[in-house]
Amino acid sequence: MTVASASNGTDTTTQRIAIRLEGLCKQYPKEAHPAVDNLTLDVPEGEIVILVGPSGCGKTTTMKMINRIIEPTSGRIILDGEDVTTADPDQLRRRIGYVIQQIGLFPHMTIAENVATVPKLLGWDSKRVSARVDELLETVGMPPGTYRNRYPKQLSGGQRQRVGVARALSGDPSVMLMDEPFGAIDPITRDRLQNEFLRLQAEVRKTIVFVTHDIDEAIKMGDRIAILQEGSHIAQYDTPEQILTAPANDFVADFIGSGASLKRLNLSRVRDIELSPWTTVDIDADRATVLDALRRSDKGCALVLDENRRPRRWVSALDMQRHDGRPLDEIGLPPDAVVEPQATLNDALNELITANYSVAIVVDSSGAYQGVVDIDHINEAIRTMRTEARAKARAALPLEEPVDRSEQAGS
Amino acid sequence: MRELLEFLSNRRSDMLQLGIEHIAIVGISVLLCTVIGVALGVATYRTDRPREIILAVTSTFLTIPSFALFILLIGPLGIGAPPVVVALTMYGLLPIVRNTITGLREIDPATVESAQGMGMSRRQRLVRIELPMAWPVILTGIRVTTLILVGIATIGAVIAGPGYGEFIFDGLARAGAPFAINLVLGGVIGVIVVAILFDAAFSLLGRLTTSRGLQ
Repeated sequence: MTVASASNGTDTTTQRIAIRLEGLCKQYPKEAHPAVDNLTLDVPEGEIVILVGPSGCGKTTTMKMINRIIEPTSGRIILDGEDVTTADPDQLRRRIGYVIQQIGLFPHMTIAENVATVPKLLGWDSKRVSARVDELLETVGMPPGTYRNRYPKQLSGGQRQRVGVARALSGDPSVMLMDEPFGAIDPITRDRLQNEFLRLQAEVRKTIVFVTHDIDEAIKMGDRIAILQEGSHIAQYDTPEQILTAPANDFVADFIGSGASLKRLNLSRVRDIELSPWTTVDIDADRATVLDALRRSDKGCALVLDENRRPRRWVSALDMQRHDGRPLDEIGLPPDAVVEPQATLNDALNELITANYSVAIVVDSSGAYQGVVDIDHINEAIRTMRTEARAKARAALPLEEPVDRSEQAGS
Repeated sequence: MRELLEFLSNRRSDMLQLGIEHIAIVGISVLLCTVIGVALGVATYRTDRPREIILAVTSTFLTIPSFALFILLIGPLGIGAPPVVVALTMYGLLPIVRNTITGLREIDPATVESAQGMGMSRRQRLVRIELPMAWPVILTGIRVTTLILVGIATIGAVIAGPGYGEFIFDGLARAGAPFAINLVLGGVIGVIVVAILFDAAFSLLGRLTTSRGLQ
C-alpha cells in the first residue's frame, strides 16, 4: 500500500483535507498491470499539489479519476469530506475546475460564451453570469471590452490559456484540476503565465491538482509535489524544498536529475534576499557630479535613473571621457537584466549572467530602482538553503538511542 | 435559338408551375434526408460496426438505377408525388449521413473532453458543442444531396411525379417532332435554374447559421 503523508506532519494536521484519494485503482481490461495501483493521497485545502513523473506513470489517469472523466476500478474519492465515488458525475464536475493542455476552448463560441459555460449550467441568471464573465476576464488580464466578443481562433496561444483558466474558475469551484496547462506554450510565454497564475492563486487560494512531467515546473508551481512511479506509486510526497534537499530514494534523485542546487534557486525570490546598493546618478546630474560619484564608487560605472527613479543607462568613467558634454541618456549602455521582486533567484541568475555589469537590477512594480542582485547573493542563498535543509533533514531523523542531555550539557 | 426563346415565353406559366413543383418535391425530400440522415449519423458515429453498416446501406441505395426504383415503388405507393419523395429520400441519405459522421468525428477530442470536464451531460455536449461544430460539414452534405436530388427528381416524371421531368419526357415521347428539342431544353434550363437557386440559398444559409468562430 502506498500511503502518502508529508514528512513534516505539523502543517497537515492544522490544514483541512480538500481531496482524499483512498486505495484508488484503475485497471484497464487486457492490460497486465493496473495504470493506477492502490493510490492513497491527501490534498490539503488551498494548496497546489503537483503530480509529476515520467510518461506512463499514471499521473494523468490519477487526476482524471478525481472528476471521474476516468472511472476508478476500485477505491474512494472524497471531496470536502463527502464521498463522491458514486455521485452524479456531471454535478460533480461542475464543482471542479478543469484545464487541459490543449485548453479545449469551444471554437464556435465567443470568449464570453466560453467563460459563461459552467455558470449557465449551474443555472445562474444572465446578469450574474455576465458580471462573472467580466470579472474573470479582468482577473486574467484580458479586458472584457476588447475580448468578450472575440472567438478563440482570434487569440494567441497564451491568451487562449488565460481564457481556459478563467473558464475553469467561472463556477467558483473550490478545486481545480490542471493537466499540463502550460505544456503547449512557448517557454517565454509559459514563464510569464506561470508567474501570473501563481499571483492569481495567492488571491483565490484554490485547491489545485496539477499534472506535469517537468520537474522544474513542479518545483516552481507546487506547494507540495508527489513524485510518481509506474502504477502511480508515490516515490515521495513532500514540499519542493524537502524533495530537492532530501530525495527519499534513487528514483526521486534520478528524476530531479543533476543541478538540484540550481533548481533550488527557483524556490527563493528576489524579495526574500537583501539587495545591494549600486552607485546611481540622476539623469539631469551635471558632469562634475557624475565624475565625483564615479570616483567615490568602487563599481566602475553608475546607473542613471530618470525622474521616476527608473533605470535609464549604465554610464562608466570611460563613457564620460569619450562623450564629453552629451546628455547622460545618450551615452553608455542600456540597462539590461531588470527583474521584479517576485522573480525567482533563478530568473535573476539567468539575467545577470548575460548582463553587461554582471548584476541584475531590481525594480518595483512601477519600475523604480530598488537595488541590485549579484552572483554573491546567489551563492549565499544556495549556501543558506543547503544548511537549512540539512538541519531540517537531521531534525526529522528518528532518535534511535536516547541521548543523555544532562551529560552533554555538562561536558 | 429564337424558337427556344419563343417556346419559353409561350410556356412561361407552365415553366413557373413546374419550377415550384420541382423545388417543393426536392425541398421536402432534402428535409426528410436531413432529419433521417443526421439522426443516423449521430446514432452511429461513435461505434465502428453500425457506422460501417449504415454507410454500406446508404451507398447501396445510390447504386439502384433510378428508373427502376421509381417503377418498383408503384406497387406499394402508386404514382405521383409520394413514391418520388420516398425514392429521393433514399438517394439523398448518403452524403448527409457521411458528412454528419465525418463532421462529428473530426472534432478535436480535447474540446469534447473539456465540455465533459465542465459537467455537460452527453446530450448537452452533442447539442451545444458537437453538432454546432460539425454543422458546416453537415451543411455541405445537405448541399450535395440537394444537387443530386434536383437532377434525379426529373426521372420521377415516369411515374407522373411533379417537376421539369414532365417536359423532358414529353420531348422524349415526341422525338422527331419540331418542338421536341425545345421541350427537353426547357426542362434542362428549368432544372439548372432550380439548382442555382438552391445553391444560392444554401450559401446564404451557411453564412447565417455557421458561427463566425468557425468561418
